[in-house]
Amino acid sequence: MADKVYDLVQLEELSGGDQDFINMMVDTFLEHTPGQLEELLKAQATNDMVTFGAISHKIKPNVDMFGIKTIIQDVRDLEQLGKAGQNNEELKTKLAKVEAELTIAFEQLRQR
Amino acid sequence: MPLMKIFLVEDDELYAQATKHHLSLNPDNQVEHFVSGKSCIEKLYLQPDCILLDYSLPDLSGIEVLKKVKSSQPELPVVIVSGQEDVATAIDLLKEGAYDYIVKDENSKERIWKTINNLRENAKLRNELDRLREEVNSKYDYSSIKGSSVAIKKVFRLIEKAIRTNITVSISGETGTGKELVAKAIHYNSKNRKSPLVTVNIAAIPNELLESELFGFERGAFTGATSKRIGKFEEANGGTLFLDEIGEMNLNLQAKLLRILQERVVTRIGSNKEIKVETRIIVATHKNLQEEVAKGNFREDLYYRLLGLPVELPPLRKRESDIILLAKHFLKSFVEENEIEELRISDAAQMKLRIYRWPGNVRELKAVIELAAVLAEDGIIDEKDLNFNSVGDELDNLVSAGLTMKDYNQKLINYYLKNNNNNVVEVAKLLDIGKSTLYRMLKNKELTVN
Repeated sequence: MADKVYDLVQLEELSGGDQDFINMMVDTFLEHTPGQLEELLKAQATNDMVTFGAISHKIKPNVDMFGIKTIIQDVRDLEQLGKAGQNNEELKTKLAKVEAELTIAFEQLRQR
Repeated sequence: MPLMKIFLVEDDELYAQATKHHLSLNPDNQVEHFVSGKSCIEKLYLQPDCILLDYSLPDLSGIEVLKKVKSSQPELPVVIVSGQEDVATAIDLLKEGAYDYIVKDENSKERIWKTINNLRENAKLRNELDRLREEVNSKYDYSSIKGSSVAIKKVFRLIEKAIRTNITVSISGETGTGKELVAKAIHYNSKNRKSPLVTVNIAAIPNELLESELFGFERGAFTGATSKRIGKFEEANGGTLFLDEIGEMNLNLQAKLLRILQERVVTRIGSNKEIKVETRIIVATHKNLQEEVAKGNFREDLYYRLLGLPVELPPLRKRESDIILLAKHFLKSFVEENEIEELRISDAAQMKLRIYRWPGNVRELKAVIELAAVLAEDGIIDEKDLNFNSVGDELDNLVSAGLTMKDYNQKLINYYLKNNNNNVVEVAKLLDIGKSTLYRMLKNKELTVN
């Protein structure tokens, strides 16, 4: 298996050693975030930048919490670009990176 | 530590779970999660201790929820938790009454933890303050003013009327009749009881300091004004300002007081800015203000402005039926406070208390009883333990309402016996009555011979 793109240090610290809590949080992440990613892609495709900015904003703390470090800054940039209504190449590149990394993270978390 | 009921309003399930878990590490936190602003507002009747509010909700914005919460429960602390570091938004929210603004980042859980702990401490202090206020209220409820005489019942009725409104109250009465106690009873039973009662004894403050004391001053207003200070009017804003011994105020200050009462604004010394004050005024005096007006010592317009609801406190000699009741009350309090053996007041001592004229009124009675309690022996306060401090006319003390002719006879004969070494023959001669009458009275224990 490839190197993990996520890091649960923050979550473990928060759990205080409660493994059930960590499992519950991972389940909740896998339940909600793929749907949010889909909505994000749809908002970009339909040029609905208000929704795009709002969803980026919601995903941001979860990416932080699951330690997906390679896209922490990209998600922030997406939020700003979305709020500025700039559906441009820069946004598309960053969105593609975020989609790819999140997809890997989902898979790795399902198999952990 | 008191239980904290926390409403967590967060549509992000993951963040909500994490926050809930973290806060639940303290068993005194009881977290209830809402996914929308509306669902939280609908449950406000459950009386949460604080709200952790996500700024971006699907139905309402954070500021909309905040405004709705503040309109129904202005004291309820709302902590905004937001994913964006937007200083302008944060300032707007704080201006609208948000308790704190926390950005969702790696440090947010610690900040939330600290904020909740601060709120818990504040709640503890507030509870303590409420408890103390209740204690003060109960201390100054009606039961603190003892009496069942017609004269004092009339005062009770006036106090009840004063409590229902914000009317200015003018209390008059001799020294020691309990003017301050009445002012406190009015304030602590009124709707403004949670705001301060500020007392200023006009007679106790030199005239040259009184103005700055009442109205406050700005820094540099005069030599020695090194920092600004608010005056008693501002201090009492929302509550009650009790001006004791108002008759002692000089004419210059009376004019300024009149202006404040008319316009309801104060201006600090050294400033032109008018500050609105909503303060109930209670004044008290032992002087007859009407006479002072006639003498030119008190402004007539101010007199009528201050008159409001006049409450005249009767002197103790006109509440004779209350004397023993009050004496027993003061005795009981003294015994309890000092943890000494129970005491009772002998019949002869009660008689002595009833016929005295009490120029120092209730205050004097309290002092006399407390001293008697210290001097008393064998659990009884007797005549000899009662020492009256005021130098009064003995005849004045003798002539008191509520005594029968027989009482007067006994009192008079006792007085002569005491001053003639209990010489019955001499006293009979002096009073021109038969010796046998005196011997009969002595036999029947109607007279006191030491």
